Amino acid sequence: MGVADFSGEAKRERRGSTRRRKKMRRLRYRLDMTPLVDIAFLLLTFFMLTTTLITPQVMEMTIPPERTQVEVRQSDLLTLQIRSDGKVFYNLGTDAPQPITLKDLESLAVRENVRLKNRLITVLKASPNVAYGTVITVLDVLNRAEVQIAEQLAREGLRRERRFAIAPMTPEEEQALAQL
Amino acid sequence: MPKLKKRRLGFVLDMTPLVDITFLLLTFFMLTAKFKSEAETQQRFTIVRPQATADTSRLPDKDLAIIKIGIDTLTGDTAYYYEMTNETDWFQVIGGLEQYQQIGQGQRIRQIRAGLQELDELIRRTRIVRPTTRFAIDADRRVRYKWVEELMEVLRQNRATVFNFVTDRRPPENPPM
Repeated sequence: MGVADFSGEAKRERRGSTRRRKKMRRLRYRLDMTPLVDIAFLLLTFFMLTTTLITPQVMEMTIPPERTQVEVRQSDLLTLQIRSDGKVFYNLGTDAPQPITLKDLESLAVRENVRLKNRLITVLKASPNVAYGTVITVLDVLNRAEVQIAEQLAREGLRRERRFAIAPMTPEEEQALAQL
Repeated sequence: MPKLKKRRLGFVLDMTPLVDITFLLLTFFMLTAKFKSEAETQQRFTIVRPQATADTSRLPDKDLAIIKIGIDTLTGDTAYYYEMTNETDWFQVIGGLEQYQQIGQGQRIRQIRAGLQELDELIRRTRIVRPTTRFAIDADRRVRYKWVEELMEVLRQNRATVFNFVTDRRPPENPPM
């Protein structure tokens, strides 16, 4: 025992010597990064899979503050009506409602607005029984047309002023549409 | 013989760039992650939003009052739900209403189911507490338009004439017509 102790002491002394210490410092050591990388990838995967990068967007609406009756020229009026089955009808002024596809609706909105140069008032009437999604689709089509209208009016040196209203559909109108 | 010896040699791959990129991405996703709001965790329905052409408008996240029209997943009935992003305003709004008095103190309810009359009261109080509050209608695309129309009438009566419809981005390969 004593001998072993002694030898140990001697070894420590030797280790403490300056020459030895220099050699120890020079030794490279390798850190095992595997667990770190494992955890980092785990977290990365978690955050990548749980994040939704697309936040919902919005469609702004403005409604008149009061139900006031404003006198407008019938010829300046474009009425769009959505029937309960989602079919869209249009009429200019006092014309009879005509069915229209969404594709034609976009070009119609552009054509009529450019023809009447900001005077056209678009009124949208949707049946209370139609799916809300359909109404948004029609609004979306009108918004898409707005870009072209603004572009074409700007060519004529005019600034686009949008005149749009959303109105409730009366039961009589609904009945009239059902027969078409 | 020397060839065999070479094959046995282990090799060390430098993982530093990999770890750098990983941490960069990790930091990015961690910082951009947005967690469900308290109100959303309390709702029992999921809203299938209508789709609209992609544009730059985004739902504001400050001082927003959201009126949701959702279809209950269990019972299948449609109802209005009211919530606000500003917590202080929210408790001020519902604290003054008798039927919600106990809510303010005890539980932390962040979303309430409301009828048209209650909505009228809630919207009016919201406008009093903070007139600059913005309103958003977050409705399921399958609900009947009647629900939205009646809600717009309530908003009109309270002079909240500018509001937003919450929509989802329509994928470009699926145009409306």
